[in-house]
Amino acid sequence: MSHTAPLLQMTGVCKSFGNSQVLRDVNLRLDAGEVLALLGANGAGKSTLVKILCGVYNRDAGGVRLADQPARYDRPEEAIAHGVRFLPQEVSVLPDLTVAENILIADLPLKRSWLGREVDRPALRAKARALLDRLGCDLALDAPVHQLSAPHKRLVEIARALAGQARIIVMDEPTAALADREVQALFAVIERLKAQQIGIIYISHYLDEVFEIADRITVLRDGLNAGDFATARASRRDVLDAMLGTAVDELYPPKNAASTGEVALAVENLSWPGALDGVSFSLHRGEILGVFGLLGSGIDLLGRAIYGAVGPLPGARIVLGDRSYIPANPRRGRDAGIGFVAAERQREGIVPDLGVSANITLPFIDRFVRLFSVSKPREASHAQSWIDRLGIRAAELDQPLRLLSGGNQQKACLARWLVEDLAVLILEEPTRGVDLGARHALYLALRQWTQQGLAVLLISSDAEEVAGVCDRCIVLDRGRVSSRFSAGATPADLLHTPTAKVS
Amino acid sequence: MNIAALLNRPGAGVALLLVFYLLIAVLFSVLSPWFLSFDNMMSIGANMAFIGLMCALQTPLIIAGGLDLSVAAVAGLAGVVVALLHASGVGMVAACLIALALGGGIGLLNGLLAVRLGLNPLIATMGTMSVIGGLALVLTGGLTKPLMEPGFNWIGSGQLLRLPVPLVLMLVVYIALGWVLARTRFGRFVYAAGSNPEASRLVGVPVARTLLILYVLSGLSGAVSGLILAAMLYAAAPDAAGQHLLTVIAAVILGGTSLFGGRGTVWGTLLAVLLLGTLNNGLTLMDVSSFWQDVTRGAVLLLAVGLDQVRTRAVGA
Repeated sequence: MSHTAPLLQMTGVCKSFGNSQVLRDVNLRLDAGEVLALLGANGAGKSTLVKILCGVYNRDAGGVRLADQPARYDRPEEAIAHGVRFLPQEVSVLPDLTVAENILIADLPLKRSWLGREVDRPALRAKARALLDRLGCDLALDAPVHQLSAPHKRLVEIARALAGQARIIVMDEPTAALADREVQALFAVIERLKAQQIGIIYISHYLDEVFEIADRITVLRDGLNAGDFATARASRRDVLDAMLGTAVDELYPPKNAASTGEVALAVENLSWPGALDGVSFSLHRGEILGVFGLLGSGIDLLGRAIYGAVGPLPGARIVLGDRSYIPANPRRGRDAGIGFVAAERQREGIVPDLGVSANITLPFIDRFVRLFSVSKPREASHAQSWIDRLGIRAAELDQPLRLLSGGNQQKACLARWLVEDLAVLILEEPTRGVDLGARHALYLALRQWTQQGLAVLLISSDAEEVAGVCDRCIVLDRGRVSSRFSAGATPADLLHTPTAKVS
Repeated sequence: MNIAALLNRPGAGVALLLVFYLLIAVLFSVLSPWFLSFDNMMSIGANMAFIGLMCALQTPLIIAGGLDLSVAAVAGLAGVVVALLHASGVGMVAACLIALALGGGIGLLNGLLAVRLGLNPLIATMGTMSVIGGLALVLTGGLTKPLMEPGFNWIGSGQLLRLPVPLVLMLVVYIALGWVLARTRFGRFVYAAGSNPEASRLVGVPVARTLLILYVLSGLSGAVSGLILAAMLYAAAPDAAGQHLLTVIAAVILGGTSLFGGRGTVWGTLLAVLLLGTLNNGLTLMDVSSFWQDVTRGAVLLLAVGLDQVRTRAVGA
């Protein structure tokens, strides 16, 4: 378009964590007054790239230039001082302060008084008003922010970025929790930001949104640039192909050729206020059923609700094998033969101070008890067999789990449930933050256990994973089952379903 | 880095404490010829036993993510209750059982407040501590009640195989607890609950029940300590035990138990109890005022915990 230097130019950016290289020679360009969509499957390197831009991580190699000046910073505060702002998925505001205070918190206008320096209220209100005017919106300046709706909190956050002289705003899934009307309001704000020559990097899974708001699209795949598109001239198919690639076949083990067994788990009319609305499906012995959905679709609650981690579910009917099952608490789920691996590995998965073997035997510790004491040899041999089969890298059996890598921690969390008589295994985001090698090992273990009759419910927001691993899939959208694929869904099918419903 | 690897071993903190303890013991034995005698060693053990008992059960409670500040107040109340019941003609055994039940009941109350109601245990047990301490004063009018009954006093000042009874009792409790924590399913639950309660709950660990049991046991340990103290002193004073609360918490922390839960052993606590007891004893032998003993105890705690922090940072564990 113009001959001036781009607002942001990242060239040849590389980043490794330990042995795994997350970014390889990645380039990215952003012009002033432009919306650039950054797309890629989970683990493609989007968030690492953005974190380098925002000073959270240091790059191993490569250059970053802001308005043709080399940007030398390695802390988030310095990135903010350079005008680079990151708006995370979860809105972060100070709930008990007012709208005006939130917007100007980093630089409150002060005045002298007989007490010393105090906040200059009229100036605070005037400045906040001016910033909100730039966004074309009108909020009550003196209302505490916790009274605002989620989209209004987002506006406060954007105004705060403007107050800090932002030149680049990175938005991570900004519409995930918004209704259609609110999305349009946000887009109007983004248009105004563009008109003020602010550059926006927009991360989203919703292709329709991307095609509506973005000027250009940059796609990452496995830490490499996989395509740059001008939105006006690109097709959705091209973008999806670039995102998903074709080299993923080796990652996923072959699916079950044989037809599956009897019903292991039947769920009817599962509802939870504000999250799930009449979900029904059945899961057969020997199959992996995928549940795909984006943030806010209800996939974060479905698995734990069935397992029993959220308490009783009025109105739902759940049949486990040939008897009805009433979820009440995790212990009952476990004793009924259901296993559950939660999405938030650090908070809900690992027991950090217990050793690897103690973590693996934790749910079924009763089986290792002889004469009131845990039989160390039995425990050790059980744990060792899973350490070998899943390739868990640990220095010793008693090594605290917190000292292992994410992939190895996840393998341990899975190994907990792999006992002979488990009927149903529910997995939430089983490979989030897990490297490719570990993912392959996890998928292989799941496939082997389904061949022995285990039924697996794999819940994930990674379309590629659901399509690659699962025998059948269902898609959740805003709490409802929006489509079912009885065989062979492609990632594009899954990704298209929720967005198709919106438009 | 051999030294770093050595410092990173699980027992390194306890080993450092042991070295520290031996240094102090050598110092005192040089300064006072009486220090190393069998009788003096036994008197250290007997004098620390009632505190050691409270520390013993406080340790798994803190490992599991709880805290009981009321335990020393329970000890005071238990002694007072026994003395008053005995004075009013209730049999000694029945009086002791009532006191023990009271201790367990207060523990249960603490557990219900902290676990079921979800109060911060610091606040909840600070509240019960104040209530119980106050009740003990109300019941006695602030006066010390004599308690002479040969069978009962044996618990506090008698001997078993030439060892003081309180010391024997304390050691039995430590050995039993050491086994429970290291080897049993319950012990596993204690560490799991303190290390990550939500993850533990999600795999079916009875986190709430584990904590409740530990609160009850902590209350019971307070009552037992109170009985031992009253038997040792031939009297029950309402405020006799309360002053030792800080020593109890200090010993558990000094012994390497994490206030954030998940880590610790009773052996570390036992060593810390002995260390603090030895320090007191040695300073007394050297005629140092008991006011200074508070100062040294605090300084030792800060020094040991500070050193451990430096060690942890150095090895980056």
